[in-house]
Amino acid sequence: MVSINDYHSDYPNHWCPGCGNFGILEAMKAALAALELPPEKILIVSGIGQAAKTPHFLECNYFHSLHGRALPIATGAKIANHHMTVLVNTGDGDCYGEGGNHFMHAIRRNIDVTVLAHNNRVYGLTKGQASPTSMEGMQTKIQPGGVIMGAFNPLAVALSLGAGFVARGFSSDGDQLRDLIQAGIRHRGFALIDIMQPCVSFNQVNTHKWYKDRIAPIEENHDETDRISAVRLSLGTDDRIPTGIYYRRESPSYTDRIDKLKDKPLTDHRYRPELLKALLTDGYP
Amino acid sequence: MTVDISVLIGGEAGQGIQTVGLLMARTCHRAGLYVIVVNDFESRIRGGHSFIQLRISDGPVHAPTQDLHLMVALDERTYRLHQSDLQEGGLALIPKDDGDTMVQHHQCKIVDFAGLAQKAGNKILSNTVAAGTCLALIGAPFDLFENVLKTTFEQVEEKRLAQNVQAAQYGYAAAEEHTFRWSWRWDRTSPKGRLIDGAHAVALGALAGDCRFSAFYPMSPATGIIQRLVDMAAAVPLVVEQAEDELAAVNMVIGAAFAGVRAMTATSGGGFSLMTEGLGLAAITETPIVIVNAQRPGPATGLPTRTAQADLQFVIHASQDEFPRFVFAPGTPFEAFTVTARAFELSDRFQVPAVILVDQFLNDSIFVAEEAFEAPEAARPFTITDGDLDDPTLYRRYALNDSGISPRALPCRGLARVKVCSDEHDEAGHITEDAAIRDAMAGKRHAKYQAMREQIRPPEVIHAGSDIVLISWGSMRGAMIEAVNQLRADGINCGGLHMIDLWPFPDAAMGEILEKAAQFFVVEQNRTAQLGQLIRQQTGYRYADAVLKTNGRPMCAGEITEAIKTKLK
Repeated sequence: MVSINDYHSDYPNHWCPGCGNFGILEAMKAALAALELPPEKILIVSGIGQAAKTPHFLECNYFHSLHGRALPIATGAKIANHHMTVLVNTGDGDCYGEGGNHFMHAIRRNIDVTVLAHNNRVYGLTKGQASPTSMEGMQTKIQPGGVIMGAFNPLAVALSLGAGFVARGFSSDGDQLRDLIQAGIRHRGFALIDIMQPCVSFNQVNTHKWYKDRIAPIEENHDETDRISAVRLSLGTDDRIPTGIYYRRESPSYTDRIDKLKDKPLTDHRYRPELLKALLTDGYP
Repeated sequence: MTVDISVLIGGEAGQGIQTVGLLMARTCHRAGLYVIVVNDFESRIRGGHSFIQLRISDGPVHAPTQDLHLMVALDERTYRLHQSDLQEGGLALIPKDDGDTMVQHHQCKIVDFAGLAQKAGNKILSNTVAAGTCLALIGAPFDLFENVLKTTFEQVEEKRLAQNVQAAQYGYAAAEEHTFRWSWRWDRTSPKGRLIDGAHAVALGALAGDCRFSAFYPMSPATGIIQRLVDMAAAVPLVVEQAEDELAAVNMVIGAAFAGVRAMTATSGGGFSLMTEGLGLAAITETPIVIVNAQRPGPATGLPTRTAQADLQFVIHASQDEFPRFVFAPGTPFEAFTVTARAFELSDRFQVPAVILVDQFLNDSIFVAEEAFEAPEAARPFTITDGDLDDPTLYRRYALNDSGISPRALPCRGLARVKVCSDEHDEAGHITEDAAIRDAMAGKRHAKYQAMREQIRPPEVIHAGSDIVLISWGSMRGAMIEAVNQLRADGINCGGLHMIDLWPFPDAAMGEILEKAAQFFVVEQNRTAQLGQLIRQQTGYRYADAVLKTNGRPMCAGEITEAIKTKLK
């Protein structure tokens, strides 16, 4: 039995009181315990930002990497040892800004990692600048006239690129988020869970109340295997922010499609110089 | 050397000039001769001007030469550009179609390559006709060439082989009634080693270094290394992934290495610039990675298909702040093989990044490698498992010790939880801003230098104790040694030093040698004598002068000897 307490970390937390990250952290622990995944069996890769500090605050293997680069690190690690359960804690700036290109191509690879994108629509670590998901017109110290770019729509982008698991959660709905994270980890292939969260220090537009007024679970008649419906949902037709699974359909993941990984992970091979004998004498005939 | 001739085959990209050169090189190699094939091409797929230079000798050759004895000019531009290099008595073969437009000259011989090819069955056999004519001119026995064609086409199709042999015969016949001044009597001896390019040797070194994963983004002149890895990947547990950019490539390599496999990427200077961020990540997380930088002239895009050695100071210093790293620069395919295998082991052992500097000339040229390439019998593991720990649940990735090398466990391989962090971190791998821990961690990383230095091999010494010493690094070795021998033949007391292991710099070994030299000159393909500066910085000895070449073309020994003689006057 794995319990939530097994994930307890003694390392003191760095987040502001009231931060949405706390809800995400608790939902993660609950999901991992429910899946019977002990701390030593999981690898969490993160980039840089408040979200990326998450693995310090729960027991696990982790690689707290560079801003934007969590997905390539996770990809390399997963290819080396595809038996690991790999999660990525990242933020809207980390994943959709600095790491935007990696986000697109990790989806195309369908690498089997579960991405938790802590989306508070603002830069927290650097104190309040606009993020890729900041709403148009949002004023910040750096954008005093308001953001003049349209907001990045991660779900629509992921769906258009063929992501096999696309969901949206809310940091204050722990039970739903736990279930989404569990489903995301179970999904074989790339899973994106974009998590709406308030930033109590720097986002005075998308406050907790603002979300409460708009968040609504996806209607029950939504067919999560229908990609077009999912895209329509992701584009939004009114003020509501639907949460839950937008789209889910499994297809072979990147490591499933590499024949030489079928037998065992790359990490499990022995060095065998005899395999090189014929190659080492090779040249132009 | 009694035989030393050079053949240039030039034309537009896409005309198959490399085929001609390779067929000739293989024929010569089979007769026991030494060759080097240097590719000179533009960054385009069709058109432009490309050529290969094939140098044939009965003694070892590792660099191109300025002398030109025989030319196949598949277009008019080739003749125009290279005709002044033809030695007195040299010969240019010109296709019939262009015969009228080219300058009529006693050094020209018109051969109807296309017509003869058509007669043999197909116009694309022109390359075989051309190779045949050249081989006939230099006196190569026909059966040697025929055997090369057999090896090439036997498995493809019987009909193609027959057509090629026919085309070769027509090529030979076209040379009849012409006596080539440098034709010689061919004594067949057994082939010397094998023909191999530098890119292939690097890839073999990676396999001998137990490389299991490689990620890359295509960039000349590094792509050949990855192509070779892919070509061999079926036989070994190796996965190669084309990343979306160089940032992803280096970070995938770091992720794979962290998870427990030896991993590398290959790029050129522009890609290395992007990877610099990852280099620092590998350093602070103490993740072993190997990066090959196949140099080309820059900055920015520069000359994509040309050669340079201008990234030495860059890779030694790349990234913000300071940390230990290895930098190697092999000079021959054999060195490229051994150095690459060594880089994997040393990087793993010391948990530091290793950079290998090659260049377009070494990567793309075909050399005779006489040494046997041998893979190590075993790959020593430098990681630990739960069994090595008293209590794996208390494992600390960055435990402090005198060597600076903390025992490295792998994630998800036992109870030990592995925590790494690009922020400055404590022993457990958690973020810290504690002043004392910061100093301890930076000091721990730096402490590795002491043991790393012990792994650095001294430079290769040619004619020890000479008054005048020429110093090369990387691919300049061949031209430098040839120049030393030419200068000695001219009565100058000259020796050479060739450096492969460049960082940590072998301060003591170099200082000891340079102390005895009356004066030394560096030979490099950059504008500021980067190795010369490094030697001065590390040993205090100042180079007398430098022979530098920055136009993107490989150095010839003749250029060095001329420059040195002028400087000595």
